[in-house]
Amino acid sequence: MAVLTVNDLCKTFGAGTARSNRVLDHISFDVRGQTFVSVVGPSGCGKSTLLNIISGVETHTSGDVSVTSDEGRPARLGYVFQDPRLLPWRTVRKNMLYVQDKDDDQARRRVSTYLDMVGLGQHGDFFPGQLSGGMQQRVGIARAFAVEPDLLIMDEPFSHLDAITARGLRAQLQDIWAQSRKTVVFVTHDVVEAVELSDRIIVLQPGGRIFEDIPIDLPRPRRQSDPAVATLQAEVLARLEKMKAITPQAATAV
Amino acid sequence: MTDTLTRRRSTEEIARSRPAWQRRLTSDRAARLTFYVVAFLFWIALAGLFERIPGPPSVVDSLVEEFRRGEVFGNFADTFYRFGIGVALSVGVGILVGVVIGLSPMARAFLESPVLVGLSIPAIMWAFLTVMWFGFGHTSPIVTTFLTAVPFVILNVAQGVQGVSRDLRDMSSSYGVPLGRRVRELVLPAVAGYVVAGLRFAVIMGWNGVLLAEWFGGSGGAGYRARFWYDANQFAGFAAWVVLFVGVIIILDQLLLERLSRRMFRWRDATH
Amino acid sequence: MARPVIEAPPTTPAGTWLEGEELARRAAARTRRKRLALLVAGWAAMLGIWQVAAYYLPFGTLPNPLEVSVEMWEIVASGALVSDFLASVLKTFAGFGVAVLIGAPVGYLMGRYGYWRAFFLDGVTVAGTIPALTYAVLSLIIFGLSNLGPVLAVALVSTPYVALNVAEGIRGVDQNLVKMSQAFGRSPQQIRREVFIPTIVPYLFAAVRMSFAVAWKVEALTEVFGGTNGVGFQIRTRYQLFDITGVIAWMALFIVFMLLIERLLLRKLEQRVLAWRPEERAAR
Ligand SMILES: Nc1ncnc2c1ncn2[C@@H]1O[C@H](COP(=O)(O)OP(=O)(O)OP(=O)(O)O)[C@@H](O)[C@H]1O
Ligand SMILES: [Mg+2]
Repeated sequence: MAVLTVNDLCKTFGAGTARSNRVLDHISFDVRGQTFVSVVGPSGCGKSTLLNIISGVETHTSGDVSVTSDEGRPARLGYVFQDPRLLPWRTVRKNMLYVQDKDDDQARRRVSTYLDMVGLGQHGDFFPGQLSGGMQQRVGIARAFAVEPDLLIMDEPFSHLDAITARGLRAQLQDIWAQSRKTVVFVTHDVVEAVELSDRIIVLQPGGRIFEDIPIDLPRPRRQSDPAVATLQAEVLARLEKMKAITPQAATAV
Repeated sequence: MTDTLTRRRSTEEIARSRPAWQRRLTSDRAARLTFYVVAFLFWIALAGLFERIPGPPSVVDSLVEEFRRGEVFGNFADTFYRFGIGVALSVGVGILVGVVIGLSPMARAFLESPVLVGLSIPAIMWAFLTVMWFGFGHTSPIVTTFLTAVPFVILNVAQGVQGVSRDLRDMSSSYGVPLGRRVRELVLPAVAGYVVAGLRFAVIMGWNGVLLAEWFGGSGGAGYRARFWYDANQFAGFAAWVVLFVGVIIILDQLLLERLSRRMFRWRDATH
Repeated sequence: MARPVIEAPPTTPAGTWLEGEELARRAAARTRRKRLALLVAGWAAMLGIWQVAAYYLPFGTLPNPLEVSVEMWEIVASGALVSDFLASVLKTFAGFGVAVLIGAPVGYLMGRYGYWRAFFLDGVTVAGTIPALTYAVLSLIIFGLSNLGPVLAVALVSTPYVALNVAEGIRGVDQNLVKMSQAFGRSPQQIRREVFIPTIVPYLFAAVRMSFAVAWKVEALTEVFGGTNGVGFQIRTRYQLFDITGVIAWMALFIVFMLLIERLLLRKLEQRVLAWRPEERAAR
């Protein structure tokens, strides 16, 4: 189980130059273990930047970010990036083995399982250049699942996929999460998706502040047809409309 | 079970943990300075190890001596005269042929093989042959410079023109821009960078060519003088001339052509 | 009557369309034939100019193409070719090996760390502009008449190319892949092996191909100055005997041979190693 703490986080790109750009502005939140948190917000408000900082690939300017794990080892991270990010010179299978700590039978089995799950069981020996964009994105998803992470970070994982594939994978994600109860931070543009999946929705506003932190208390598994889900979705959308009214830059929001 | 904490360090924290002296020591300027010191020490070490390699003091001595004898300016005047004519010819002919090749695929098919053969003939070959043909004098180094440099200019110019000519065809048909303006606004700026790149090649290749021809010829010049010391087994004298002609080419290439090239390719870098 | 918004496309009889394709194919074939003719004409013109020049230049200073080809044939038939070519090629590749061993790590450092870039850049730039003649003579001064001279000269000439290209390659590394690796907790060694090295391989090949064209010339030059065997040594021997036919014949053979190595060996190797690239795969 992993716990994520973000305290007073600021990020400024190009600090001290003429093109200094404050992207995240005094952000604080905690994610308790076994929680599924969604982050929504208009394009360019700093969602990907936030995930990059949490995963350690981007350094923040000030504040505190830490991940605590009670497994007796540093928390293992899985990251589904907004783009596939596969090594073009390695086959799909080798790409997935690359991020495994050990290249043993168990790891191979996990790789096969999750490749099957995203429907690419037959494509293990293909090079990424031989796959379509959506197929590559699915490899990225399988790769993150296959490390069986303590903290799973996903950046709009389903937005490049067709509706049917996306729906199937969303259901898979729900199942996996129900079984393993990992801590998940999930970025999306899609409020419907956010309500369906998460325990909590953090709304970022342009300029990189937290606009609202909405708990979603609904029983699982959730189904689109459930009236309670639909009601809540409408309510969250209404609140986002309110944000648009307050912050004019958000006119192009979600 | 104990908790394991993974903390992410912020830029402020990282900056605080590195003292100022450390930052100064790893600055670019410090790095360059260190390189020059290391290279100099390396030379001294080499000179100590190999008896035949002259050390800095003896090279400086020979250099001063050559200047005092008045050998430097006379010989360089000769070399520059030959090199200048050779490079000018190669740039002139190279641009002409390069433009023709770049514009017409048929001219390209005809001239491709001669240019390729020209690219692969070593300068030493031309030096040998031209000395046989023209004897000792200005002609041999001039022709050698020209023949070694010209294929490189052709290649570069042709590449530049080829890139433009495609766009040019599209644009000229769609907008009906007058020819003069088209050449001025489109062809020249785009080709100028490649011409300068070709010129750089011409200078570097031609410099080697002129020195080689002088080395095997018998009529003075920097290459001839370097050979004089080499034949006399006076390697300090040879090294002094190496310092001179390496210095000259670096001044030419870095101070003049590098800047020119950066100016000419400004449009290309700005798009990044 | 109002015209429909969407008109039916003008119908073309299938015959015309096929005819058009046939015409296009014929035109392409014509262009190809014309190109080939011009290519041959290019060679013919070159040999023609050579022939005319041989006729007008003083006797003995330029043999005509026929004399040279007879001489080339004799060299090939005598078997002298093999030992001397082998010597030259081995020396070139040895020098090349040294250049890659030194140049690649230097380029790697230059590409990855600002400090090392600033450290090496001036030196590499200067080393790249120094005339080949200098390297040839310098190598002779250091090693005297020995096989190590040409090796050193080749190494000196090629190292800057290799270093600059590798540095360029490293700077072109997809930072997103590095970030991905870091996010999944990969070690620096793993990132080097799986991300950096595969990225620089194409650049390394480009460097090898580019500097190979210069390297074998410098190798021959150094042998001319002071080789004890090899093509350059043969050229010098013939030159000292005023046997210009021999000089040109040896040079021509060497040029042909080196172009073959460059075109066949290096290209093939490159295609094999870079099989993951879609365009290379398609070409196979
Ligand atoms: N490497 C960088 N250098 C400078 N600015 C950057 C960099 N990366 C992101 N930014 C800026 O940070 C802001 C937030 O970018 P980010 O990618 O986090 O947005 P996002 O919320 O993920 O948007 P989207 O929903 O479109 O993916 C943008 O204004 C962008 O211009
Ligand atoms: Mg994003």
